[in-house]
Amino acid sequence: MELMKLEIVTPNGVIFDAEVKQVTLPGSEGEFGVLAHHATLVSLLEAGVIVIEKADSSEVAVAINSGYVKVDEEKTTCIVDGAVVISGEDTDIEKALEEAKALLKSAESSKTAIASAVSKVEQLAKTL
Amino acid sequence: MANLKDIKRKISSVKNTQKTTRAMKLVSSAKLRRTEELAKRSRVYANKLTELLNEIAQKLQKNNVDGLDNVFFKDASNPKVVDIVFVTADKGLCGGFNAQTIKRVNKLLADYKAKNVKVRLRAVGRKGIDYFKFNNIDMMNEVVGLSSAPNYEDAAALINEIADSYVKGETDKIVMVHNGYVNMITQEIREAQILPVDPSTLELNAVSTSELEVEPDEDDTLLEALVKRYIEYTMYYSLIDSLAAEHSARMQAMDAATSNAKEMVKKLTVQYNKARQEAITTELIEIISGMESMK
Repeated sequence: MELMKLEIVTPNGVIFDAEVKQVTLPGSEGEFGVLAHHATLVSLLEAGVIVIEKADSSEVAVAINSGYVKVDEEKTTCIVDGAVVISGEDTDIEKALEEAKALLKSAESSKTAIASAVSKVEQLAKTL
Repeated sequence: MANLKDIKRKISSVKNTQKTTRAMKLVSSAKLRRTEELAKRSRVYANKLTELLNEIAQKLQKNNVDGLDNVFFKDASNPKVVDIVFVTADKGLCGGFNAQTIKRVNKLLADYKAKNVKVRLRAVGRKGIDYFKFNNIDMMNEVVGLSSAPNYEDAAALINEIADSYVKGETDKIVMVHNGYVNMITQEIREAQILPVDPSTLELNAVSTSELEVEPDEDDTLLEALVKRYIEYTMYYSLIDSLAAEHSARMQAMDAATSNAKEMVKKLTVQYNKARQEAITTELIEIISGMESMK
């Protein structure tokens, strides 16, 4: 499977920058997945979870509160306000989960969106 | 000739000052390092945001034949009311740091006055506020505490208040002035037009020719959200930049003060030794002449 570059930037710096297989993003018009060579797209992101399938097929979840994403053929750039990375490699997954939930709950999105995002984070954390 | 005791007292006082200035320099350099790191990290975000805004603005410009038909992008070559937001430090003892910003604001005031443009000042930082208050110039906002500890929420609240006034049509242009950080020894006055967003100042990279999909597809929703974010972040970044510059300016000023104090101690020590020598000589002469007269 072809790889593409993914970058996640927050006001506190770059938190993710690597080649990935696929990324699923919480767009304001609904969730969507991006593969390499996706058509150029700009979208608002709302509170939710970015699921990244890395080159080695392992998954990483990033909880975000809001932001934007710009997709073009070579590269996907997410510009988000706040983000918490929940990854299987992390030893302290419980703590990351707590932080992610707190972040999601502080977001200004609709309650249903937040509730679904929170449950998704919990689900993902189990599989990671 | 000053007497010995006076000189001695002066030396110890200068030495104390030297200690203080040296400590302040160390504090500033530690703070500078932290702020610099913060600035470096947020610069990435700022650049990405500008890039994205730029791309969308260009796309919209291409779609509309008459250019962008949006309140945030209108032409502002002949403004009637201009808001100047300027950032100074809350504290002094940093050389010409604040004076430079104030000088630039004064120049802008004079320029706009010559063109019959009404100017509204919005001040961040105690030093700037003090200056304009002393000169009886009215300010719309007086924000203290934000420039020494920038935080995103407060910066956003301030700039949004100003942006609201722009959207309502109370002002035609918003300009931001602050003294920015270049490196450890240089600061530079930065003046930027925040609103309306001037597409010509956004960096024009090679625009991809491919069609750009936008979601949500009512163009303005995304654009407005993006512009709002852009100005909020510009404001926040200016505060950080200004803080870094303030620390570097203070570091320099305190370094100069320390070496001046050192110089002064040297001079005073020479003076002290001379005075001491003189006193001894006088005493000797007195003793000798006293003995002579007794013979």
